[in-house]
Amino acid sequence: MRSALRIALPKGRMLEDALEIWARLGSGVAEGHANSRRLILPSADGRFEFLPVKSQDVPAYVEAGVADAGVVGYDVLYEQQPDVLQPLDLGFGVCRVVVAAPEGVLYPHLAGAVTPRVATKYVDTSRRFFASRGLQVDVLHIAGSVEIAPLLGLAHWILDLVETGRTLKENGLVVVDTVIESSARLIVNRASHKLRLEEHQRLIAELESIVAEPVAARTSARG
Amino acid sequence: MPNEMISRIPPGSQDLLAGDVTRRRRVQAEWFRLAEERGYQEVIPPTFEYEEVFTLGAGPDLARQLVRFVDRDGCLVALRADFTSSIARVAATKLAAAPLPLRLCYAGKVYRQGRAGGIDRREVFQLGAELIGDESADADIELLRLMIDTLHALEILDFQVNLGEIQYIRPLLLSLEPSLAEAAREAIDRKDRATLRLLGSRPEVPGAVARALEELPELIGRGEVLERAAALALCDDATGAIDRLARIDESLTVTEREHIVYDLGEIRGLDYYTGIRFEVFIDGVGGSVGSGGRYDELLSLYGLDRPAVGFALETDALAELLVGEGP
Repeated sequence: MRSALRIALPKGRMLEDALEIWARLGSGVAEGHANSRRLILPSADGRFEFLPVKSQDVPAYVEAGVADAGVVGYDVLYEQQPDVLQPLDLGFGVCRVVVAAPEGVLYPHLAGAVTPRVATKYVDTSRRFFASRGLQVDVLHIAGSVEIAPLLGLAHWILDLVETGRTLKENGLVVVDTVIESSARLIVNRASHKLRLEEHQRLIAELESIVAEPVAARTSARG
Repeated sequence: MPNEMISRIPPGSQDLLAGDVTRRRRVQAEWFRLAEERGYQEVIPPTFEYEEVFTLGAGPDLARQLVRFVDRDGCLVALRADFTSSIARVAATKLAAAPLPLRLCYAGKVYRQGRAGGIDRREVFQLGAELIGDESADADIELLRLMIDTLHALEILDFQVNLGEIQYIRPLLLSLEPSLAEAAREAIDRKDRATLRLLGSRPEVPGAVARALEELPELIGRGEVLERAAALALCDDATGAIDRLARIDESLTVTEREHIVYDLGEIRGLDYYTGIRFEVFIDGVGGSVGSGGRYDELLSLYGLDRPAVGFALETDALAELLVGEGP
């Protein structure tokens, strides 16, 4: 058995927030590893090791048991529907998955009988969402810079993640519908939760008490 | 270059050679030796059946995973996705007049498909047993013991068996209105306590139900969990379920008990379970390597009302654990 619980964390913006929460448990990244390019980062107290991976890959690592637990946005869980435990909303990384259209483009029906084309990296989410609205659309999978698709005439609408809405605005897009509200979630491998029960229960309880603190206390602790 | 369609195999299928075959054969040989010694007779059900055999009792999760095709007469046929369903059909029809209890065992492939792009194998070997016509806790113990002894016979000693009881959770869910019960079922399955707390805070949910809902994800552990669970029990069915688990606990040997973890917040698995549930976990394997339980209402779906209990182990996962033994 691995001695440390292995935690898959999403690279990018959420990595820092996640590591900060673990630091508050006394389990920050071990000295000298903070900026290291190593694949796996040990925690200072040896309880955990962190595995930074692409956000979309976090569920796969946890579902397969390569990582015991992970942190990932609800938007990714909603899209991939992985078979994992989701015991806790960690409260950071708050954003929305929305449908956006260029100003002046109609929603939810285009003029005439045109079938709308939607560009997105959330293909399954799009299919489920528009089906639930009773709308027939063509979903086009785009890996990056979805917001330029309507600008270039590739799609009528987009379905994407927004945090501040600035990128949308810069590209002349407005939010026309909300799909889900997202935030960072703790996910846990089902078998690992059974086999390393006490460790998982302790981690969940500790994270729960930190998440329950008012946000102001957490930011001031940031120094 | 050879024809690509000839040289490759479909995703989720595999060729087994040399050591991979030997190890699976060894698992199966140990299994049949033990099962036959205890009076279990092998059954070989068909590789394909009318899809209703699998959709009737096992529920929508399995129904989504069936590999189906249209038969010559236009009927939908599915590859065997679950031995228990096939054997329940046989027991309720061809074996309807056979003296009870029936002790049946099997080993072979099941065919299931998950999401495209996943790593799920679409055909896996399983082995298992069913004890039909005995509703006693002794029958539960007999199957549990057979499962534990099979692993011991394969010199797999480091494993954990999680035991749950559907009758403990079912009254809780039945006390809620359907949409709330579905939300609760999902939250229990994800061990999402915040959502359970939120559901419990609804005015229409009685306090005792709210408390039990919130505690469910934490009702895991050794024997002492049964006492905590008994204190939260809402009705005679739930109390009865805990009493039965306590009786099983008493009958286990010290060695057997070392493997057991009581896990009352687990609701996963095929829909046909009505009582005790087993799930086997081994360190280093990302999922469960076996599962089973009591399914007293399944046979009646095929026309004959009989209590039954059974389990299945994942032969492939067990064989891979024997990797010390040659290539």
